[in-house]
This record gives sequence, C-alpha cells and structure tokens, in this order.
Amino acid sequence: MYLNKSIKEINELLKNKTIKPIDLVEEAFQNIENNRELNAYITLNKEEAIKRAKELEDKEVDNLLFGLPIAVKDNIITKGLRTTCASHILDNFIPIYDATVVEKINEKNMIIIGKTNMDEFAMGSSSRTSYFGAPKNPWNKEKISGGSSGGSATTIASRDLPFALGSDTGGSIRQPASYTGIVGMKPTYGRISRFGLVAFASSLDQIGPMTTNVYNNALLLNALVGKDEKDLTSVRREDEDFTRLIGEDIKGMKIAVPNYFMSDIVSKSITSKVKEVIELLKSKGATVDYIDVDYLENAVTLYQIIAMGEASSNLARFDGIRYGFSYENPENIEDVYLKTRAEGFGEEVKRRIMVGSYLLSGENAKVYYNKALSIRDDMRKALKKVFDSYDLIIGPTTTTTAYDLTDPMDDPSKSFMDDVLVIPVNMAGLPGLNLPIGFDDNKMPIGMQIIGNSFEEAKIYKLASYLEKELNLSLNPNGGEDNE
Amino acid sequence: MKEMLTKEEVLHVADLARISLTEEEIKKYQVELKKLLDDVEKINNVKGYDDDILIACWENSAELRKDIAGDMLDPKEVVNNAPRHSGNYIEVPVVISEGEGA
Repeated sequence: MYLNKSIKEINELLKNKTIKPIDLVEEAFQNIENNRELNAYITLNKEEAIKRAKELEDKEVDNLLFGLPIAVKDNIITKGLRTTCASHILDNFIPIYDATVVEKINEKNMIIIGKTNMDEFAMGSSSRTSYFGAPKNPWNKEKISGGSSGGSATTIASRDLPFALGSDTGGSIRQPASYTGIVGMKPTYGRISRFGLVAFASSLDQIGPMTTNVYNNALLLNALVGKDEKDLTSVRREDEDFTRLIGEDIKGMKIAVPNYFMSDIVSKSITSKVKEVIELLKSKGATVDYIDVDYLENAVTLYQIIAMGEASSNLARFDGIRYGFSYENPENIEDVYLKTRAEGFGEEVKRRIMVGSYLLSGENAKVYYNKALSIRDDMRKALKKVFDSYDLIIGPTTTTTAYDLTDPMDDPSKSFMDDVLVIPVNMAGLPGLNLPIGFDDNKMPIGMQIIGNSFEEAKIYKLASYLEKELNLSLNPNGGEDNE
Repeated sequence: MKEMLTKEEVLHVADLARISLTEEEIKKYQVELKKLLDDVEKINNVKGYDDDILIACWENSAELRKDIAGDMLDPKEVVNNAPRHSGNYIEVPVVISEGEGA
C-alpha cells in the first residue's frame, strides 16, 4: 500500500527504486476493483496504463507527479481512449487527439487510469443523468456523490488514487467535492486551456484538480495551467508555484462572508459548522466580516439562461454525421438529426437544449440572453469590489449535504438550485475551492467554499491548508489514516 | 399564469433544437419546459443593473495565433470517426429528394 502515503514520500520511494510506477498503477486498479459498486468509472485504461508504467521504469523520476495515477473526467478527450461524456450519443467515440490538459499530465509522466462517471454532458448536480448509471457516495452508498464531476469525486474520496480532473461550469467540481469530503478547485477562467474539454457553456467551463488534500491540489494545478494557442480564452501568466503560500500564518487576513450564503436557504447544520470555522479564524487573528453582495440571489436565473443558451449552441455539433451514435435507418438527412438526437441524448440534456434554443431564438436573444449578460457584468463587478477590501470570500459550498440516490428527479429546477452557492463564482470567472470542514449528524461531509480574486489561487490554498491543519479531520470514508 | 405549454409550443422548441419527440414526451415537456421557462422569467424582476454586458470573464486582450499551417489531423482518422464513411468521404443520406428541388 503506497498510494496513501504523501506525494513526497512516494516520490522518494520511486527515486530510490523501492517501488516502480507499475506498483502504483496495480494498486490503483485493485482499489477501483474493490470499490467497483461505487460506479466511479465509465472506461478503465488498464492495458495502456500498465504499458505506460513499464515504459516509465527506464526514465528519470524528474518531478513530484512522475508515475502517479490520475483519473480523468469523461468529458475531457483522450486520444485512443473512449470518451463518452456519459452520453449514449458518444458511447462509441474514440478521440483522435488529446485535450491540452491530457498532454500536460502526460508530459509530467502521470498515468491515466480511467475516465470517470459524470452527469451527461456535465448537465446535472447528482451524476444521475449519466447514461451509465450514477456513482455512489463512499460515505453512504445510498447517497449521491453530487455532480457533475461525481465519478472523479467518488474515486478520490474512496482513496482509489490521489489525483483526478473534473470540470466546473456551475459548481461541478466544488459541489461533488463538498458532498464527498474532498478538495476541489475551480481555477480562474482562463487559467487552464479548455481545448479538448467537450464544451457545455463555453463562457463558464473550466477544468480543475480534485484531490484528497490541499497540497496535492495545488501541486496538480501547477501542472495544468498555462496559455494555449488552441484556446483563445486561456491566459498567459508568469509561472508560479501554487503551493508557495501553504504553511503560512493567516494572521491579519481579511475575509468576507456574504450574508446570502448564510441565509435560511442553507441548512442549519451547515451554517453552524461554517460559523465554527469563522470563530476559529477570528481566534487566530483573521478579520471576518459579514457583508452584502448584490445580485447573488439572481445567479441561478442568470446561469439557467446563459448555460442553457450556450449548451444548445455547443451541442448542435452532435448531429449523427461526423462522430458518435447515429440513427440507423434515416429517411433523409433531417431525419438523421432529429432521430439521432432524440435517441442519443438523455432527458436532462434534451430539456436544456430545447429551452436554450428557445432562449436564443429571434427576439428572445435580446429579452433573455443579452439581459443575462448585462446582469452578469454587474454581478461580477459586485463580487470583484469585495476584493478591494478583503483577501478572500468564504461560505458554505452547498445548501444541504448529499441526498438520497432515490430522491425524485421530476423537478427540472432542482439540479440548478443545488448549485445556488457555487454558480456566482463561475459567473464572475473567479477561482473557488471546496474544503471539507466537518460532518452532519449522519456523518455526511460538509464543505466550505473559499473564493479568491482572479488569479489568486495561491491565497485560497494558503487559507485552505491552514484550516485543513487546524481542523485535522478524518476524511477517509474507509476509516484509514491519511498522510499529509 | 397557465400551467403548461401547448403541444404546438413544445413542438416548436423541439424543432428549434432538432429533436424529434414521442407523444408521451410532448406531454411531459409541456409541464417540464414550462417550469424552466417560468424560472428564466425571473430575470425580468432584476432591477438596477447598467447596460454593460459581460460575454466572458476574460481580462486579457485577444492574443491571436499566427496564421501559419501547423500539424493537421489525418483525414483518414477523421473520416473513420464518422458513423457512415467511404474512402476519404463522410456519407450522408439524401439531402434533397426527387421532386423536392426548385
């Protein structure tokens, strides 16, 4: 058992040849096999991963991520490895090139173990819209893991392996991270290339790291960022080490808590846990103020309009002609489109595409979409203004802890409302992280969201790592100890 | 406010989205789509915002890549990904039938 050791320890063991990458890969696959009922994966990359691990035996261990297994959300394309977006319409799709983030993790000689389960095209908040069935929460198999990056959250929480990639359009990294008790970061919009991330809502989508602890998260982010000429919205920045502020004292930090985040939309067990953390921060010399931030209560409405609108346009490419599933016996080309999409897409996706198409059609584009973009601008200004006076914003990540897999899915608004606290961060393009801060009475994890100004991920990691150490929670659902 | 969309309204949005629907689905979406459309109506209650719009949260100016040919995908691989293909071509069903042309 090596994967439960700290990354630095594993790195030493690899360097002095006590272990080989194949040992880590085999351990990861054994863990996944033991946890198979959690349904965290859509496709495993066993043969290729073993081959890759053996190739690495002759290479120099030149970085901390070398030889380490990683899971990739199934909306990030991987050359030669099936990428389905958890949809029937792509269930036979084999990409012919790699996403930029995949090239980056390959450059570090990390080993891709498999593609994780998710909501179909990342549309949902419980991963129950997956064509392959929902993943189960390692803390209680009757509960959801959240979504849309539910499979990545599940495999990290259950300690199958140390690293996973997720994507976050309206909370899809942070919300499942909260439900499963792991660390999940949505970086600043533009930090990480979206090239090869199957687009859902292009102005909101961002890839990010999901890990068991804060240090690993920052370490993986180091490997993922950078300008990519294949993504115009990726941003050129000076190189920085996101782990550099970890371990620093937080005395004098100024932290804001939006009143809306602590209002009665959030269950009491969660707000009281967040209040405990606030008291802890104060006792350690940080300033914490409750503030009002305009437009936060409008975030879900804006998100519905912008995300469904952009989704309807992005998903127009799935036409049954160029790749993926295609309806068998069409009468004419129109018939290919209509029936491929009818049979290929699941219910949630169809609903969103239909409403999105309507919102963008004719005059509606002005009435809804342009208006949403206008209010979005004001919401971003309101949030950015907070950082004139404060270092960070904190609050709960979710309004409840993980709910039952069997809870009804007949309310189409529900999956949006689950993300009410995480959506504003995407709207404003800011970085946000989920940190586990405790458990409710049913021993289900509670998460806190830490939001920073654009490109200030390092500051988020500083506070997160400080709290992680102070709280010193047992976050392994199997009961074992976690190392640093 | 009415409880559900008409059948015609549902068929209209399905047509915009290029999705065919069964009778059963139409009934379901009459209710479900109405719920989502009611949700988005709430945008009309928001007051006080200015006219600036935000298309994407993106602070740098456009940095376009140089217009030079780079590595290309192998056309054979691209075509092989299509459900129906032949040689270097993607096959599609008939677009305009006899008697349908201008």
